[in-house]
Amino acid sequence: MAATMFGSDLVDTQDHHPELRASVAGVVGKFGRKYFQDVVERDAKPTELWAALAESGFLGVHIPAADGGGGGGLADYNIVIEETAALGCPVLSLVIGSITAPIITQHGSDDMKKRWLPGIANGTLRMSFAITEPDAGTNTHRITTTAMANGDGWLLSGTKYYTSGVDEADSILVVARSGDPDPSGRHRLSLFVVAADAPGITTQDIPCAVQAAEKQFTVFFDDVELGPDALIGTEGNGLRQVFAGLNPERVSAAAINNGIARFGLETAAAYAKDREVWNTPIGAHQGVAHPLASAYIAVQQARLMTARAAALFDEGSPGAGEAANMAKFAAADSSLVALDQSIQTLGGNGLALEYGLADLWFVARLHKTAPVSREMILNFVAQHSLGLPKSY
Amino acid sequence: MKVVVCVKQIPDPADPGALDPETKTLKRDMKLILDESDSYGVEMALQLVDAAGEGEVTLVSMAPNNERSGLSTALAMGAASATLVSDPALQGSDSLTTAKVLAAAIKDQSPDLVIAGSESSDGYTGTVPEQIAGVLDLPSVTAAKSITVDGSSIKVQRQTDAGHDDVECPMPCVVSVTAGVVEPRYPSFKGIMAAKSKPVDEKTAADLGFDADAVGWAGAGQEIVDVAEAPQREAGEIVEDDGEAYTRIVGFLEELKII
Ligand SMILES: Cc1cc2nc3c(=O)[nH]c(=O)nc-3n(C[C@H](O)[C@H](O)[C@H](O)COP(=O)(O)OP(=O)(O)OC[C@H]3O[C@@H](n4cnc5c(N)ncnc54)[C@H](O)[C@@H]3O)c2cc1C
Repeated sequence: MAATMFGSDLVDTQDHHPELRASVAGVVGKFGRKYFQDVVERDAKPTELWAALAESGFLGVHIPAADGGGGGGLADYNIVIEETAALGCPVLSLVIGSITAPIITQHGSDDMKKRWLPGIANGTLRMSFAITEPDAGTNTHRITTTAMANGDGWLLSGTKYYTSGVDEADSILVVARSGDPDPSGRHRLSLFVVAADAPGITTQDIPCAVQAAEKQFTVFFDDVELGPDALIGTEGNGLRQVFAGLNPERVSAAAINNGIARFGLETAAAYAKDREVWNTPIGAHQGVAHPLASAYIAVQQARLMTARAAALFDEGSPGAGEAANMAKFAAADSSLVALDQSIQTLGGNGLALEYGLADLWFVARLHKTAPVSREMILNFVAQHSLGLPKSY
Repeated sequence: MKVVVCVKQIPDPADPGALDPETKTLKRDMKLILDESDSYGVEMALQLVDAAGEGEVTLVSMAPNNERSGLSTALAMGAASATLVSDPALQGSDSLTTAKVLAAAIKDQSPDLVIAGSESSDGYTGTVPEQIAGVLDLPSVTAAKSITVDGSSIKVQRQTDAGHDDVECPMPCVVSVTAGVVEPRYPSFKGIMAAKSKPVDEKTAADLGFDADAVGWAGAGQEIVDVAEAPQREAGEIVEDDGEAYTRIVGFLEELKII
């Protein structure tokens, strides 16, 4: 069943967006929530769904046509991710593709683009993204993974954690210290593309409650040799460069949550129309209807903000950062309210795997914490939008 | 190989349709979508051109308000261009007028093959493809479930109650395609983007040589005199199982000649 309850006229920013939504929904509709639950339960990967998205060119909509992509933008990728999640398939790997591809596109060398972008676009290559460390999550300045000069390349050592999808990755985009500290004594960061099977890399699974196909890992780098071609862009310029991927990541995280919220509310509304406990459908009780209606409004607001944030990013607008932060904030909060109320509407069935709602909870909940926490977005807005002093 | 596919753009069947009380016809002044039953014809045409290794698929559609949302879908699937006939004068056209207008738009293109759906999902007259063939004086095959090209003719499997007939027909010809016989592709992203710049040739009735009084309400050879609600479906029969209910079920299925 294609998800159709949520009108998209309000949110779509380009005239081909309705067509794109319909097509993604058609492709993903052949799979759906049951397929995805089965994949997760079997501890498998949604290989068939991934291949179908790839075949239609949906994995690379945001990658330039010259690099094997669709030549669209984040506005299109937002739709791909949201429609996929709205049919009960929250594919976290799509979020990773929103970080790595734009960083390579904006800052990678021609060789690097040729090596990675066509494969990311056609689904044959995967690149994980490793910034978080045990002692540097929210505070990126504390990153200690270091690339030491070694001949014409580097030796990489350190530990990353919560790196998603390393088991499926061909390479890892690593944020590491390198070069001399800046004049204020802060270590400079650089970005490297590291082969996932390079000697010196070991990984350890971090069991998580998130019922998704992607696994999280601690990744140990022990004197991993990097050639000169591993560097993305300019040495020491990593912090600035990485934002080419962090803003799209926020938009994409929002897109997944907007899709989950749609799935929840559509399931709940259908149920509330049917289910009779007294002598009217439960949806006739305002105690059931109003929370769903207010959740719907909040989700539409989040979708609108997400679509605009994506459009601003595509335009290269300086407002994209604030918008992407606020969109992720709005989507995380509104999706959790929507999903919780959807679960509530189904009574006991809300907890049953058959209805596919409760097991979406931690996927949605993830994006209140990651990729940037709710608190850090409030810090950002307080400081940059409201001009308030920084507390940390 | 040049294939023209007739595609109708219709109100989304997922939305409840409404009749205009004045004209007693379906309201079609909203955004329209590609009739699903035509998506099979588009898919078949694309596969035929693919198999031929040369040629193209073009579209012909008659629609109100220069509507082209449904055409975009078919263009995104891979059709090369479209002719859109739109004219307030065409409002109220019956199926024969529709066929004449579509035939006029098709004629200039001299196709090898014209494909149409067996019937539209909002009108169900199921006569337009054969009328087009009649107007163009071309042979016609109905209810195709598969088409293969064989030199200058086509081989068609024609669906019947019992299975299918194998039919051969010289080209050019008109074939109507049964819904559900192929899996229409969903447009790829590149297809969707490419559709934006594909040519859509807009034509009026006059462009195709029709006088305003020969088409639309004025030219219709039929009149809708009354529209009535479809009768409510009768309540089903509930059989309480007293251990013998299966005999009632068997009897019911026998009555329907299913067993
Ligand atoms: C399932 C999953 C997948 C992930 N995938 C990846 C991945 O692929 N790659 C990757 O690099 N990382 C990944 N992460 C890591 C994620 O981005 C981090 O967990 C997140 O950024 C938070 O960092 P932290 O865990 O170190 O929290 P901490 O930095 O330790 O923060 C702990 C808490 O303190 C709060 N806090 C900290 N500083 C302040 C302050 N100044 N003001 C107010 N509150 C503050 C935070 O908001 C948070 O609530 C993933 C995490 C999860 C759970």
